[in-house]
Amino acid sequence: MSEEAKKNFAGALTARPNSDEPKPAPVPAVPPKKVIIKSADMIPDMQKEAVDIAVAAFEKYNVEKDVAEQIKKEFDKRHGPTWHCIVGRNFGSYVTHETNHFVYFYLDQKAVLLFKSG
Amino acid sequence: MLEGKAVVRETDMPEGMQSYVMELAHQALDAHEVSDCQSIAHFIKQKLDEAYGPAWNSVVGKDFGSCITHLCGSFIFFRVEMMEFLIFKDGKNFTESREEAIGVLQKARNCD
Repeated sequence: MSEEAKKNFAGALTARPNSDEPKPAPVPAVPPKKVIIKSADMIPDMQKEAVDIAVAAFEKYNVEKDVAEQIKKEFDKRHGPTWHCIVGRNFGSYVTHETNHFVYFYLDQKAVLLFKSG
Repeated sequence: MLEGKAVVRETDMPEGMQSYVMELAHQALDAHEVSDCQSIAHFIKQKLDEAYGPAWNSVVGKDFGSCITHLCGSFIFFRVEMMEFLIFKDGKNFTESREEAIGVLQKARNCD
């Protein structure tokens, strides 16, 4: 441990001269997921809420349908029924949604489609 | 072009409607590239809206999970070779609906 810490420190030092590409020391915390909003017809606050709930769901579940279920049910609870959620790596879709209740975003490699209709 | 026979995984839909939906899937696969999931989904949704009234939702792909609420009698999840199809309707003027959680476990290859 002490040796590793020392190594990291040394690494940081050697990286310093290369101002073009400074490399941060490795941190124990899990790096934050990359979020890309691909398409949205939704107020910003609700979008952020969707992303936050999705991040939490991915941390809690491994199976995509469980992630989708968590997100859908949370939104049904908070914003009234009826929401639908699709989560995955490879899919295309065409849906009808209520105005201001649609968002499609990426969390790292996974796409999340969340919309309300009915 | 996918020639395989459709395999129903889950459904809550009359037989006749099931057949029609799967026929649409084959038509869509004939008309579009297999990798163009969105056009395939669009084709199916459009035809169903015309035939059975709005509003249908269509999801097509190889790797996805979902949780949806659908109108009773208007839900089907099936496979044609390696493509999965989730088709459902959600109407406003009905109180009877049912939740479905769908999982597709096959991993996607690098063919996007």
